[in-house]
Amino acid sequence: MATLFWLQTGACGGESLTILSAEAPSLEHLLSDCGIDMLWHPSLSHQPMRQHDELYRSIVVGEQALDILCVEGSIVTAPRGTGLYDSYRGTAKMDMVRELAQRAGVVVAMGTCAAFGGVHAAAPNPGDCVGLQFDRDRPGGLLPPEWRSRRGLPVVNVAGCPAHPHTMTQTLAGLAAGWSLPLDELNRPQAFFNTVVHQGCTRNEYHEYDIEELEPGGRACLFFNLGCQGPMTQAVCNSDLWNGVSSKTRAGVPCFGCTSPNFPRDADLFATPKVGEIPVQLPLGVERSRYMAYKNLARAAAPARVRNKEMDV
Amino acid sequence: MAKIELNLSLNRVEGDLEIAVELEDGVVSQARTVGTLYRGFEQIMLGRAPRDGLVITPRVCGICGTAHLYSAVLALEQAWQLPVPPNAVRIRNLCLIAEGIQNDLRQTFLFFTPDFCNPRYIDRPWFAELMDAFEPFRGSVYRQTLALSRKAVEIVAQFGGQWPHSSYMLPGGVTTPPDLRRIIACRAVLDEIQRWYEQTVIGAGLDDWLALDSADAYFSWLETPAHAASALGLLSRSARGLGLQRMAAGTPHMLSYGAWCDPEQPQDRLVPGGFFDGDSGQIAPLDQRMINEHVRHSWFKPYPGGLHPSNGETIPDFQPNSDRYTWAKAPRYGDRAVQTGPLAELLIGGDALIESLHALEGGNAWLRQFARVRRIAYELVCARRMLDELSVDFSQPHIFNPGKSAEVDGEGFGLIMAARGALGHWVKIKDGAIARYQIVTPTAWNASPRDSNGLPGHWEQSLVGVAVQDPEDPIEIGHIIRSHDPCLVCTVHMLDTGKKRHFAP
Repeated sequence: MATLFWLQTGACGGESLTILSAEAPSLEHLLSDCGIDMLWHPSLSHQPMRQHDELYRSIVVGEQALDILCVEGSIVTAPRGTGLYDSYRGTAKMDMVRELAQRAGVVVAMGTCAAFGGVHAAAPNPGDCVGLQFDRDRPGGLLPPEWRSRRGLPVVNVAGCPAHPHTMTQTLAGLAAGWSLPLDELNRPQAFFNTVVHQGCTRNEYHEYDIEELEPGGRACLFFNLGCQGPMTQAVCNSDLWNGVSSKTRAGVPCFGCTSPNFPRDADLFATPKVGEIPVQLPLGVERSRYMAYKNLARAAAPARVRNKEMDV
Repeated sequence: MAKIELNLSLNRVEGDLEIAVELEDGVVSQARTVGTLYRGFEQIMLGRAPRDGLVITPRVCGICGTAHLYSAVLALEQAWQLPVPPNAVRIRNLCLIAEGIQNDLRQTFLFFTPDFCNPRYIDRPWFAELMDAFEPFRGSVYRQTLALSRKAVEIVAQFGGQWPHSSYMLPGGVTTPPDLRRIIACRAVLDEIQRWYEQTVIGAGLDDWLALDSADAYFSWLETPAHAASALGLLSRSARGLGLQRMAAGTPHMLSYGAWCDPEQPQDRLVPGGFFDGDSGQIAPLDQRMINEHVRHSWFKPYPGGLHPSNGETIPDFQPNSDRYTWAKAPRYGDRAVQTGPLAELLIGGDALIESLHALEGGNAWLRQFARVRRIAYELVCARRMLDELSVDFSQPHIFNPGKSAEVDGEGFGLIMAARGALGHWVKIKDGAIARYQIVTPTAWNASPRDSNGLPGHWEQSLVGVAVQDPEDPIEIGHIIRSHDPCLVCTVHMLDTGKKRHFAP
């Protein structure tokens, strides 16, 4: 059994609630069949807090083995690097995370807050928030870039605001099974970040033919005008649907790029910055001149059913 | 007289809760609730595009993001004076209800009832039966709650793409229209939840249950085998067996903003709101101008008295070794400390059974939890009505896009009943950007510290007089505080404060 301790720092509780929506595996399945022994979860544990305090103590002194440490929420370091804007019984949560991390087989940052700082670290970052091992897109947050857990891993960044339910439970199942989990350059488990939100989006045909919405509420693509980050954002939202049902882009909500270190970006979130007709940021890895040439041709080739936005999404 | 100070932390709440209580001979003589986290959303909002609030404010809270989104969009619509098509209101209500059902189920069976599984109660006549139903991760009701609450939020995903944290309500409507597939899928979810609620949670049909209108009728109903064996019957028997109906009245005053906008008249609410004056027993119409917030005992730069949210201020001023003790502000309605939540919603909304039980025993820990389970019936009825109305004509508009020219400078507020109670957003837009943003959450009302006049907040009042058997495991305090559905991440305030500031601890 792999022991797991879950700690909430500067959080909204979103990952804790989201993980309850996972189905394959579900959280309860993770605990009953996937070899996870949940020592503590702040929202779900029914033991009294004295047991939490005792567990924390025994992990820190090395009496209790800790295989997986999950941290949910930004690391609040204000004021003046003391971390006391986010405390537990007078101790900065920041210091508790540091101590537990030294003992953990692997440390998992659950969500973009814990991974990169997230919404609380948006300008002007009043809580001086950072991620566990990243400060937005810069390596090094609470822990230095070269830091490694007992299992020799950097902090595993299960990014997303909130993280996708299956990205959380499947990562944990893999870690509990002792599998190696290849990470990308942002230390996110590749298996869940090797696809972009655009892939599997039901508005794809509209994008293909460059049929774009100017205002929200329609059926066509949201990329050119409404700020959608789907083609640049790595996540499984459209290949493993949320709540088994849908995704933001399918529901006509632009992807805000919440698995990225710079989420939320420092700009109007419902607008696409453009130079002339052309978005400043193009789909991942795409060359500007070719993309525009292709788009113009595609628009001319659009079938009427797409041009007239007759196709449901 | 043995007097001890006790600093308690509480799990199974949203966010971090610490409570400092003073015990005299084992009875709480004073309590202070402490919000231990400051995230500073306010500065983050400042200067951003007005619609960004629809992305950022749902992220205040991972459990009631839809409610924050709803309040945020109402505030913008008021500032910009926008009409909203009836179907958009229906979809918004439906999603808010789905989030509410999720919350009411999880709060009751994942957060509240686990306290009854404490070994201390092993000799109680209901203990074995209770463990079968409520034991965390093993009990039948606990496990079914995990499954059913997961189903409930599928309704939000149908229209918002995901739950939690989506931004599908936009000024003038919603992003996705109703269609046959979505409506039928939502109805299937609702049917499944209703069947389970009837069979397992209340042990009766919805209509019979809603027709119950007096305390006497409920107590005789509680004796009937089907209801006695139901989850609510079990909850009521155990809670009442422990005397929770005599505990933790707190402030007698209650606040509800009214539940669910009327699709045809969005200014009106389908369940009326108001202020219940606990001294006179009268309900007064809601006047949001009466709302103000104090910071005398909070870690914010002091100002005298209270300030209305539209001109409040929130400048962090962390003074850990002073008589200030929390990151929560103290909202007041006039000069009254109030409680809010399902009990307030149903009492002010006119549910006869709740009125009767309240008249008999007053506000108490059991009744608060009971009201939360009772509210699910209203949620199911209203959700079905929204679906029925949506299915009349799918071609009706779901959004009136206002266009950029409508995005004028101005002020607005949006008031909603979130799962936990009264939630308000106040926004001010200047030069096309957010110049001020203030949120007063349900937990801010309930977890409020003392105000400028020294008046304690609702929880603080509700804990006084409670006998604590074992200070090492003060389970009585767990029952009481969790009956309020606390959400400490919601005590975070939002408002402009100008530049980034640092204050020495």
